[in-house]
Amino acid sequence: MPKKLKTFLLNAFVIFITILFLIPIYWLIISSFKTGSEVTAVPVTLFPQKFTLDNFYYVWKFLKFDLTFLNTILVCVPVTFLIVVFSTMAGYALAKKDFPGKNLVMTLLIATMVIPATVLLLPLFFIINSFGMYDSLLGLVIPFSVTVFGIFFMKQYISDIPDDLIKAASIDGANEFQIFTKIVMPLSKPGIMTLAIIEFVNNWNSFTMPLVLINSPDKYTLPLKLTQLVQSQESLNWAQIMAANLLTVIPVIIIFLILQKYIIKGVMAGAVKG
Amino acid sequence: MASVKLKKIDKAAYVFMFPAIIIVLLFIIYPSVWAFVVSFKEGSIIAFGRKGVIAAGHWVGLKNYLELCTDTLFLKSLLNTLYFSLIFIPLTMFASLWLAIVLNKNIIIKSFLKSIFFMPYVVSIVSTCLIFLLLFSSETGFINGVLSYLNIKGPKWLSDSTYAMPVVAFMSSWRRVGYFMLLYIAALQSIPEDLYEAAAIDGTNSFQNFRFITWPMLKKINFIIFILLLVNCFNIFQEIYVMTGGGPGDSTVTVSYLIYNEAFTYFRIGKAAAMSYVLFFIIIIISVVQSKFVKE
Repeated sequence: MPKKLKTFLLNAFVIFITILFLIPIYWLIISSFKTGSEVTAVPVTLFPQKFTLDNFYYVWKFLKFDLTFLNTILVCVPVTFLIVVFSTMAGYALAKKDFPGKNLVMTLLIATMVIPATVLLLPLFFIINSFGMYDSLLGLVIPFSVTVFGIFFMKQYISDIPDDLIKAASIDGANEFQIFTKIVMPLSKPGIMTLAIIEFVNNWNSFTMPLVLINSPDKYTLPLKLTQLVQSQESLNWAQIMAANLLTVIPVIIIFLILQKYIIKGVMAGAVKG
Repeated sequence: MASVKLKKIDKAAYVFMFPAIIIVLLFIIYPSVWAFVVSFKEGSIIAFGRKGVIAAGHWVGLKNYLELCTDTLFLKSLLNTLYFSLIFIPLTMFASLWLAIVLNKNIIIKSFLKSIFFMPYVVSIVSTCLIFLLLFSSETGFINGVLSYLNIKGPKWLSDSTYAMPVVAFMSSWRRVGYFMLLYIAALQSIPEDLYEAAAIDGTNSFQNFRFITWPMLKKINFIIFILLLVNCFNIFQEIYVMTGGGPGDSTVTVSYLIYNEAFTYFRIGKAAAMSYVLFFIIIIISVVQSKFVKE
């Protein structure tokens, strides 16, 4: 087979696979613009026959979706901020400093990485309850304000900052706080961006912990609200559910499309080094 | 002079470590110990809520663990998880490696395609579940709709105990394949180019290149990906909670889903904790065995 033909066939096959791969996303989008009767009509329609925005209006107006959005943001923004600050601080100490007990800390952190999330589910319910944070958004922020992934990610990143820069600053009389805020943080900005995006998306999508820790519907976050829409007795049709789903997905897709460079670099950097 | 300065820096290190250490100790280490202790106890949810882990309930030794050996639902959940992983792990590894190899070649719009395949990974599991519920709905779903155009009567997918778990596994694969593709691409790019150049001089074909250069060089990343996927399998919970509720007929009850149910539906705290530690030990044993195997 001539080489050109081979390349053409491969390209065509990859495009074909890509189209198949995108079916779920396509179905999510067009289903939310269909009418309630069309979305479950037989035979299925590949494009909405009657294009409607009613589903979005209904979801936003009658299902308190605005409140759910607000709750999710009230969790995601502070938790992402804290993860970034605490992880960068710890990553800096582990990358650039020697202190008694450092090996112990490293061992402890590595050990936590093999603990399955399922093990923590039950005890966290009791522990967070005993801190009085059950059924409060604070309970979704404070206990999750550090991730071991974040610490190691920032440690990797900060190790690449030349020691001389830090030394030079301290000779110039900068104190520890100044070194951290004026040198370490600005120089690790791309790393911080990557970590912030990853953790924001993780928390935006988080379901299991809110399920266990949140009780009142007024404090539901988006994934919790979505499952409630499907499982509750409110007679919603699938077009409305998909509209709610699309509203939930759009922010992370937009974040991903704009900042994908950071995410993809972060994933690949972690792979090569780890 | 130098030593004085060093000491000052040491103190600062503790300040920088402090928040991270406190959170990790309180919300990762302590819960793990808590669950381990409770796996040897029996008691009501109220007692554990009020009295704390040591005073609440009573010690029962290995009873919770021994009971699991004869608990048919627990054994079934292990088998179900195995069934899931037998589809999920090979499918994800094969698909992500294939994509990585193809997208590592000179293919049109390859960085755009990379983003496309990675995109589902940022969509939440819950959202993905809802889409697949609609796609695989037995009467009016997209899949059966397309099959009926071809005059095939599709199965009832999620309401059929044979197909429910494969659908969940397929969905999980769809969502994660782009992530593992990126890990493979990173690994492929770290293979030294001169290995292939040397092979080209020897006149090898592309299959031989893959078999004798690429595949051996991927050993380490294969191991890492296998372990990551395995841990994924044992954490499959949301998919089941949203899509099947364990049904039909317990055919999709996974270990994680069972642990959640034992804890938060039946309030059998000790038993749930014991289950979670069995799961933990299984993961550790498999990764130790696998790492020995890879080293040889």
